[in-house]
Amino acid sequence: MKQKVGVIDYGVSGNMLSITRAIENAGALSRIISRPEDLLAIDKLVIPGVGSYVDGMEKLHESSLVEPLIEFCYSKNKPILGICLGMQILSKVGFEYGETKGLALIDAEVKKVTCKGVVPHMGFNTINPIKNSYLLKGISADDLFYFMHSYELCNYTDVLTLTNYADHTFVSAVEKDNVIGVQFHPENSRAAGLTVFRNFINI
Amino acid sequence: MRLIAKLDVKPPNVVKPVHFEGLRKIGEPAYLAQKYYEEGADEVVYLDIVASLYRRDILLHHVQRTAENIFIPFTVGGGVSSLEECSALFRHGADKVAINTFAVQSDPSIIDRAAKVFGSQSVVVNIEAKTSAQGWACYSDCGRVPSNRSVTQWVKEVEDRGAGEILLQSIDCDGRQRGFDLELVHTVVDLVSVPVVACSGAGSLDDIIQVAVTAKPSAIAIASVLHYEKLTFGDIRACLRERIAETIS
Repeated sequence: MKQKVGVIDYGVSGNMLSITRAIENAGALSRIISRPEDLLAIDKLVIPGVGSYVDGMEKLHESSLVEPLIEFCYSKNKPILGICLGMQILSKVGFEYGETKGLALIDAEVKKVTCKGVVPHMGFNTINPIKNSYLLKGISADDLFYFMHSYELCNYTDVLTLTNYADHTFVSAVEKDNVIGVQFHPENSRAAGLTVFRNFINI
Repeated sequence: MRLIAKLDVKPPNVVKPVHFEGLRKIGEPAYLAQKYYEEGADEVVYLDIVASLYRRDILLHHVQRTAENIFIPFTVGGGVSSLEECSALFRHGADKVAINTFAVQSDPSIIDRAAKVFGSQSVVVNIEAKTSAQGWACYSDCGRVPSNRSVTQWVKEVEDRGAGEILLQSIDCDGRQRGFDLELVHTVVDLVSVPVVACSGAGSLDDIIQVAVTAKPSAIAIASVLHYEKLTFGDIRACLRERIAETIS
């Protein structure tokens, strides 16, 4: 039977269709999650990535999804994949339009990218794994992933991959138990991105 | 260097205007988007060029069909005047939205509002620049309606308001395939720190190399030379790699 992968609906924002069709292309069924009870019927969860930190958290609170989401992670122990903003709100606190508390599933904070390059960091780039993970099965060092972000996650304990941009190294993926976050957009990263989704689906 | 396929759409067709007028039909947007995706485009930009002219909503089903088989960033614009329209575009496959007419002619605060809700990185401001006695002026509605804003002032304003990217079109050069307005691109790249996409004028590999080297935009958008099959993304990328000491992006 096909896996059911939930995708959090932020209400007004989120590149929903891009994510759901990538999940379906990778071989799973996608389910839109906009109410707490929607979480009961899924095997895995994707938190997608368009929007600002403060708005994303506001929308999760408005939909009463914050507590159920944390429970989905800790009590049910089911896999979660955060993408871009979805990765960033896994952290404890974000500093986009003021200070906002996140889901605190990963010990990290989110700050504006400061480097000598153009920000937002927009375009294809490589990822350098610093540990092994099922998520990266079949991914090679020269595979390119699409980045589109002005903020970055600062974390030191759960780093999965690093990426270099304009002489600046930042965390491009984190993994802590069943929680994974990727700063890049696998839904916009051609075959390599679909491989990441397939790996997530096949855990 | 990101290479972007730009589709000017007059539903149901991709068209190619010359100086933003005299439309020629090229083909279906879904077919062309997939073709350029398979040939190696880094992104696809879809502009419904009649949406704001005729004051009708962008046709969402064409957007959705075009998004169907491309797994790269997809920017959609044309007549966007509210956050609800942006949201509808995201739900039909857009990864970024492009805004021009409403911001430049009516209410620039749509940029701030869109950036706050959707994040700066998904808000693209589309600029139609035309040479005038006072420098470059911003136009709208596919180059038909002038505004009272100068390009040099407007690009800084939209950056301050939260635009994450500038799609810089030149009405003077568009569709002519005789090279980019290098001074325009260079000037805007110097003025802002967000990514600038150079559009309008690619007619040959030399044109593309020239704008890449002299004006240093973050990305180059290409239309006519792809549509008329004069160049492919493979040709362009190979040439860029050979002629520019280029690292990734």
